[in-house]
Amino acid sequence: MYRYDEFDHKLVADRVEQFRGQVARRMDGSLSEDAFKPLRLMNGVYLQLHAYMLRVAIPYGTLSSKQMRMLAHIARKYDRGYGHFTTRQNIQYNWPALKDIPDLLDELAGVEMHAIQTSGNCIRNVTSDQYAGAIDGEVEDPRIISEIIRQWSTFHPEFSYLPRKFKIAVTGHENDRAAIKLHDIGIVIAQNQAGETGYEVHVGGGQGRTPFIAKKLADFVPAAQLLAYLEAVMRVYNMLGRRDNSYKARIKILVHETGEEEMRRLVEAEFAKIDASQMLSLPQAELERIAAYFAPPAFAELPATSDKFEAARAEDAAFAHWVKTNVVAHKQPGYAIVNISLKPIGGVPGDASDTQIDCVADIAEQYSFDELRVTHEQNLTLPHVRLDDVKAVYDALAAHDLATPNLGLISDAIACPGLDYCNLANARSIPLAQDISTRFADLDRQYDIGELKVKISGCINACGHHHVGHIGILGVDKKGTEFYQISLGGAADETASLGDITGRAFTEDTIVDAVEILVETYLDQRQTGERFIDTYRRVGMAPFKERLYAE
Amino acid sequence: MAQHSAKGAQFQAVTGNRLVDGEVVYFTASGAWAEAFDAAAIAEGGEAADALLAQASPADIEAHVLDPYLFEVIALDDGSYLPASVRETIRAKGPTIRPDLGKQAAQESA
Amino acid sequence: MPSDYQLVKDRAVCADDWVYLEDDAALGDAPSIISLDRLRAENEALKARNAPLGVVLRADNQGKQQMGEDVHELAPYLDMVQLVAIEFPVYRNGRGYSNARILREQLGFTGELRATGEVLHDQWQFMERCGFSAFELAPHISLEEFTAALGELSDAYQPAADSQRGALWRRHGL
Repeated sequence: MYRYDEFDHKLVADRVEQFRGQVARRMDGSLSEDAFKPLRLMNGVYLQLHAYMLRVAIPYGTLSSKQMRMLAHIARKYDRGYGHFTTRQNIQYNWPALKDIPDLLDELAGVEMHAIQTSGNCIRNVTSDQYAGAIDGEVEDPRIISEIIRQWSTFHPEFSYLPRKFKIAVTGHENDRAAIKLHDIGIVIAQNQAGETGYEVHVGGGQGRTPFIAKKLADFVPAAQLLAYLEAVMRVYNMLGRRDNSYKARIKILVHETGEEEMRRLVEAEFAKIDASQMLSLPQAELERIAAYFAPPAFAELPATSDKFEAARAEDAAFAHWVKTNVVAHKQPGYAIVNISLKPIGGVPGDASDTQIDCVADIAEQYSFDELRVTHEQNLTLPHVRLDDVKAVYDALAAHDLATPNLGLISDAIACPGLDYCNLANARSIPLAQDISTRFADLDRQYDIGELKVKISGCINACGHHHVGHIGILGVDKKGTEFYQISLGGAADETASLGDITGRAFTEDTIVDAVEILVETYLDQRQTGERFIDTYRRVGMAPFKERLYAE
Repeated sequence: MAQHSAKGAQFQAVTGNRLVDGEVVYFTASGAWAEAFDAAAIAEGGEAADALLAQASPADIEAHVLDPYLFEVIALDDGSYLPASVRETIRAKGPTIRPDLGKQAAQESA
Repeated sequence: MPSDYQLVKDRAVCADDWVYLEDDAALGDAPSIISLDRLRAENEALKARNAPLGVVLRADNQGKQQMGEDVHELAPYLDMVQLVAIEFPVYRNGRGYSNARILREQLGFTGELRATGEVLHDQWQFMERCGFSAFELAPHISLEEFTAALGELSDAYQPAADSQRGALWRRHGL
């Protein structure tokens, strides 16, 4: 994974000092709250219901054990002993004191971490595929170009006061695990006829109040020109994006109101000018330097199957069950990708205690080439585990309640923090995720239901990604009471679609029953091999709506 | 975000977040800011509420407390008050899914 | 109209030789900053002007969608002006950064590029990187504070309108 050089270290250190100065000026009154707010946001500091919240960046979701241990330490020293992994592959702490945050950031800098641009109207964390470098069929490890984009976008003097936030995601595989079509800029790594690598650029995706699927503006931008192309997109947005209404300020609105053709023309005109200067032409040497950090680890030459692994599966039914759901084939013979569910039955989705974080750090160091990933579905991934070691990993995880065999199943729901934590929320989302999880606790039943992505948001900002849930749930407030609106048929992958609202919202008391009715309807309707989303796409809303509102 | 007070709310109190650590605080009758909802000054009627908010928001308030605002409370038979909204109930206690965190934890052990 | 401020130009405090003129005010020989509308409307007459001329690009907060004036509209008249002022109506409105870079890097403007409006501490360094050479600051700001702010980030990843090449290139001696 990427290692800071002197430039990176110095810039992060400068930023910590800069923020320390800003906090001091805020405390002594020379900086008003109004002027301080965008600055603290650009350093990932929100004010939430109970306290400040700090969002620490985990670039494209990749972490070392040393970094993971620091996250556990931060949780203990500055917070309440836990952290929350987010839908953008970051981690959030819910209780830091403002006065402590400069010191906290100092400690993070010591392990090459920061909270830069994790909030505010600037370019945010570049997210990517949690299976990068491990899965078969990858065109190129998407983290290479993600790291280049991260650097180019950090402290960008022109794009730090955009009309609104800006999110970029990259995938290097035909199965899109990074939800690129739901991002302001989504990049797909492609190969042309000559076998050269280039980048497909999609623009204007997003969720929130007005969800959109991104439009493909460019088919194939060569690596050397990608930064110039991205700069062109950003400049068009910065110049033409609306600033009169924060609900209409994202680039998705600009693309929608301008039209795809005209948007492409504007971007290409600007790109031509920027490209002509050659100032952003990416040096091949830099591309190679960064690519070297993402070279495959020193895999051992192993047979494709492992007797030890097979024996363990035969002996231990629980282990076998967990393997079926959570373990994915690796491109390297003898290895596996191991997914860690942070959705224990009835637990808080995406939360991990300091002990759990330390446990995962130890496992990653010992069994996964000292590397782990955060997924945008609020889980963790160990990318490179020997099949021989999978049972030992499972045992270590199980000892800390980290071996729930539910990846992609109904209890593996995404839930935003919601009204339990968030200043913007209208309704609680976590208790709903817990109730659904508990209702469907029977793992055999879950397995029979199969892949079913439930996504829950506590407000229209859609941080729970409800628009792209197979079952999406949006919490709303009606005269002080929490209600839950259901949508069906959303998907975040390469088949990206936005969910359809079923109709009338449900109460806290009836929403879990409603989910059960939807599941029953699916089970009645499904044909062999169909997941929930497949059945919905085949039969449509009618059968579901009919049974939902049958009274 | 839900409105903090319904139109014509009878009883209101003032809350904000402390600058230094973000802790939820309530404006008290003595003019200080307290961490417990029980200590909050209650204003009856719109005029009294506006006066309370003005008292709670001197020119230098942002040096201590962020964005003080009025929120509705309801009166109970025993003379005590409770926040009217789910949001303010949660702010007064802590996250509902972690009874060991927030003000509710301190209240438990008190 | 910009209100009470001190001018810092080329990193030094200096008296402001320029005056901002309303559209209906008579244009004398004093170095004058006029609106883009006026420059456009009177450009023929102004070609004969022997005195310094400046233009201010306004951000129109009242207009639909707050588009503000676009630097491309200034292009036909650029060789007539020695000063361009770009307004930041609120510090959060960052269009001016793009306008500045286009002016410097694409339109080749080499005169005084001045930031006016809400021009606060934490924007100065990025403004300078985008090509601003003059800043209308609140009177209480010291030159020490201003100069220190320009160096808060000691390096840069990416090029802009200043002389910084950017780490992605400098690492390889480019």
